[in-house]
Amino acid sequence: MSILLDKSNRVLIQGVTGQMGQFFVEDARKYGTNMVAGVSPGRAGTKVGDVPVFANVATAVKETAADTAMVFVPPSAVLGATIEAIESGCRLVVATADEMPVLDAIEVRAAARANGAVFVGPNTPGLISPGKAKMGFMPSFCYLQGHVGVISRSGSLSYEGSKRITQAGIGQTTVVGIGGDPVKGTTAAEALALFHKDPDTKAILYLGEIGGSEETFVAEYASSTGAKPVAALIVGKTAPAGKKMGHAAALIGSKAEGHAAKQKMLRDAGVFVADSLGEVVAAMRAALARA
Amino acid sequence: MMMLECDAKQLLASAGVNVPAGTVWRRGAAAGGVTVDHYPVAVKAQVRSGGRGKQGGVVKVTDRAALEAAAKKLFDIDFGGEKPDALLIEPWLAIERECYLSVAVDGRAEGYVVLYSPLGGMDIEDGAPPVRYEVGAPWNFRVHRLREILEKVEPDYQWREKVIALAQRLVRTAAAQDCTTIEINPLVKLSDGALIAADAKVARDEWAHFRNAEINAEREAEKGRADPYLRACLDMQHMYVKLDGDIGVISGGAGMTMGAMDMIAEHGGSPACFLDCSPGPTSTRGYRPAFEMLDADPAVKVILVSVFGGGTQMQRVANSMKEVMAERKSAKPVVYRLDGTNVDQVDGIFAEFGAHNHATLETAVTEAVKLAGGAR
Repeated sequence: MSILLDKSNRVLIQGVTGQMGQFFVEDARKYGTNMVAGVSPGRAGTKVGDVPVFANVATAVKETAADTAMVFVPPSAVLGATIEAIESGCRLVVATADEMPVLDAIEVRAAARANGAVFVGPNTPGLISPGKAKMGFMPSFCYLQGHVGVISRSGSLSYEGSKRITQAGIGQTTVVGIGGDPVKGTTAAEALALFHKDPDTKAILYLGEIGGSEETFVAEYASSTGAKPVAALIVGKTAPAGKKMGHAAALIGSKAEGHAAKQKMLRDAGVFVADSLGEVVAAMRAALARA
Repeated sequence: MMMLECDAKQLLASAGVNVPAGTVWRRGAAAGGVTVDHYPVAVKAQVRSGGRGKQGGVVKVTDRAALEAAAKKLFDIDFGGEKPDALLIEPWLAIERECYLSVAVDGRAEGYVVLYSPLGGMDIEDGAPPVRYEVGAPWNFRVHRLREILEKVEPDYQWREKVIALAQRLVRTAAAQDCTTIEINPLVKLSDGALIAADAKVARDEWAHFRNAEINAEREAEKGRADPYLRACLDMQHMYVKLDGDIGVISGGAGMTMGAMDMIAEHGGSPACFLDCSPGPTSTRGYRPAFEMLDADPAVKVILVSVFGGGTQMQRVANSMKEVMAERKSAKPVVYRLDGTNVDQVDGIFAEFGAHNHATLETAVTEAVKLAGGAR
């Protein structure tokens, strides 16, 4: 099993005729993602690769039974496109765009909730269920099918972390990028709840950063009764306070948001915390030994 | 993006919030152009960094001579690398009480949160934590929910109702103006019972620049304040934070950039910067200003290029490196670690200009630390 994404998802791509959309069709098809439709206003009737293009999501859903949307439109258009997908019945909507205004993310999250859909993003690499399907540009060779659920606030860090455990022979059920923004479509708490319910996931790897309060969700989960074992890495030990480190949420505004406080909170909750990237595999093994 | 207090107060005033009637004295403007009718006044340095009060950035003056002396001194204070662009001169308030009120974006709240403390002032972080009303989406603000929460900490019901009305207005304003934080500290009760925002910190969401002319103008102004090297990087949307070490980091993705910085420190070295190039074009056009900035920085001895790309394809990054190196004048050593999509094409491209690609971040960092003069 996996969470949110497997071979059964019927994927439509919004903004399919753009550069990213076209690259995604080619790259994700190779990986096995079941792509059934593209959407690009004004381009209905054309094709990208073998994917038919529709004028809007509702038509694409009606014609192809698509149930999952991948959104590749400019930041100013993400709000409109994601809500169109959600209200047209897509159960999973992924928007990788960074530079999405936080107010728009708040609105999309609320719309997803009201419609019983899951929104992953913004500012995320997307998600991959190794050996099944991927929704994003992650380099496929970094992943291996297995029993660890990975949650990451950062795209490239999730590639690096996944590659390290893959090379050590530790596979993954699903790797989900929850993104680096303060308001997320899917929070760490929600991703943890999904992995908790997935019988194939034996342990969890959490890749976090300084800033924000997402890690408190991880500590709360790890200290709950019957929790699956969790390993974690927090980057930003060398980040100064009061400066935004790329991601909108990666800013140490108070002591609790700093590196040392987060590590301590996670350790106190029973999380196997890697002190550095080089220790991720060891921490993961320690967590799996408890599974 | 932090707004200056004087601009933040103008935004609040336009939303109907009571603020002191201030006069702005811009840097370089003649003293004669600044009119003050009644003393005493507060003279407040206009800077974006916090902790201004503790650094002597607010002065009470009682006459013209003292005002001019204070202005001279304040314009010269360095507040964490920033000298004030302007001073805000406001009537000295007859304060009865100081409270704290803020509205901010919060992940846990899935939107906005309202924070209130009956005690405001400089040391708010050391006192009891403020009470919290999780609004969520701005249209979910409910007066009766906030009232329930405030009843526990604020016995003065007349004051409480004023605070609730203000909080509602602030949430509306935050949403309408793409603000991620509006903090009023202190929120002052004057001796006549009126409520006034004695200070204001407003942060705007820079990604709303496409729909907000003020935010767009502030982004441009921010670039204008940067030196030409940094400005060229900001034009490419690179994200840069200067640090005090000597290994320049050119990276992609915020998490991996911090991961590389941490590993440098772990190996006894010291990162000179956080420089995330992933949001801008990761092409020669994008990487060129990153190298130019680090090459011009005398603190940087070595440059570590650490990119782990998905959508950013490595053969493109490798070709960009080849082009940048061909035109580059600096002899500072560069250490590479590229990994990700199409990494198998990197060695062939690197061979064309004699570069070596490290297979792991560990070996790349080890070499960079050695080239920078070894562990400290």
